[in-house]
Amino acid sequence: MSEAKDQLIADISEALETVINRKVELRTDMNIVNDLGLDSIAVMNFCMALEDKFDISIPLHDMASVVTVDDLAKTIETLRSNA
Amino acid sequence: MSILEKFAALNNRYDHLKQVGADPFAVKFDDIISCVEGVVNGKKTLLFGTNNYLGLTFDDEAKAESIEAIRRHGTGTTGSRIANGSYKGHQELERALADFYGHTHCMVFSTGYQANLGMISTLVGKDDHLFLDADSHASIYDGSRLGHAPVVRFRHNNPDDLAKRLRRMGDQPGDKLIVVEGIYSMLGDTAPLKEFVDVKREYGAYLMVDEAHSMGVLGEHGRGLAEREGVEDDVDFVVGTFSKSLASVGGFCVSSLEGFEILRLASRPYMFTASLPPAIISSTLSALRTLRAEPQRRTKLTANSRRFYTGLRAAGFHVGPECSPIVAVMVEQPEVAVMFWKRLLEEGMYLNLALPPATPNSSAFMRSSVSAAHTDEQIDFAVALMTRVGRELGLLPEENNVCAFPGPTAVFSGERLGATAATARALPQGAGAAAGMA
Repeated sequence: MSEAKDQLIADISEALETVINRKVELRTDMNIVNDLGLDSIAVMNFCMALEDKFDISIPLHDMASVVTVDDLAKTIETLRSNA
Repeated sequence: MSILEKFAALNNRYDHLKQVGADPFAVKFDDIISCVEGVVNGKKTLLFGTNNYLGLTFDDEAKAESIEAIRRHGTGTTGSRIANGSYKGHQELERALADFYGHTHCMVFSTGYQANLGMISTLVGKDDHLFLDADSHASIYDGSRLGHAPVVRFRHNNPDDLAKRLRRMGDQPGDKLIVVEGIYSMLGDTAPLKEFVDVKREYGAYLMVDEAHSMGVLGEHGRGLAEREGVEDDVDFVVGTFSKSLASVGGFCVSSLEGFEILRLASRPYMFTASLPPAIISSTLSALRTLRAEPQRRTKLTANSRRFYTGLRAAGFHVGPECSPIVAVMVEQPEVAVMFWKRLLEEGMYLNLALPPATPNSSAFMRSSVSAAHTDEQIDFAVALMTRVGRELGLLPEENNVCAFPGPTAVFSGERLGATAATARALPQGAGAAAGMA
């Protein structure tokens, strides 16, 4: 994994930790809902935390297609490059 | 494996809840005998969870007009306004609501839920942008899902957070619609509407305020939070319901936006549903007249709210951030909340229970709503009962337990408690078993 990708995953972890108030060890193949035990509200709050972390806008429907941590990283990369 | 297998987790949670010995989502009333009294398991029960703010469900005039409407116009319209036409009553009610709010246009929907669904899904299209308070009612979220506009949430009651998110949109084309609520249905807190109006103006957005729980409750004339805050001219769309202060069922949206009427041919939740029956239209018209003619009901409601809120706060309960007819008591442990709720019902008091995962921080709310029809004695009874059961369950210290160093359940500073409660989230999307209560 590239250094930039590592940093991105680390930033995502940090955003997530602010939402669930516990340490997490994120892997790219993790399923956000099942492996991390997030309910629909936690996912929406995670989305807000990510928006603030990366200073981007992530419309809720963009989150709907995100299943794994890797999907999320790709979505954020796309949104950042469009910004 | 059945098609219902996906609800296994929800089933488990529900079973777990029922093991405590109560089912707060399947209360069976033997009878409802007045605005504030019912019968449960043969026992007369005080109702503190009905949203019956002005106490008009048994109003003699409304009942008489409703009965007369059935005699004259029948029991139902058996179709939609668009396909089957509007009755005189529909038009009269729309004119009365527009007049009450000082707006040019009004659309009446068959429920309050559908009013949000119909307006939000239609006003913004795929090239527009929708901004929702994170604690929005399920009907607002569902409206956003039925429509095609990208949805961005902002932190609850936080105009700066909204401004930040609007700023991020940059110069992207498309109209922007901000949706907030007058009084939030779970904690009873109000939106900082003046500040939201400033943000709306700065970013050239439209503003919709859902006054479901504030109509008839706030403002000198009962028009809601926008009236109380003096910002009605800046609210582009007011959405409301008939199932609270107006004591029936149905919803509406008023606006003075030019061209508003075309929404009747664009809003699917308006077009493809049966219109309200004559009995409902008549009682709602009557209740609206009473709301306007009897401000003393609002005065009594405000006094009752204060009596209940301050009573519970003084007893040491962790209440919501501000006094309104919606009074919420936080209970950290859901199991204790279910037991609390069950004990209250056994002792003759009914209120609502909101449980995780539909509540923040894995805590639960005992959510009550006060009515103008409650007597002082009934409110005092409720406070005393909740205090007694609270002590029984260890939520409050014993009466004679003088403690120099108050523990977490014995913090008496209302401000301090309010600040904590203000960070709590109410009931967003209909995610859990407690959803859809309001």
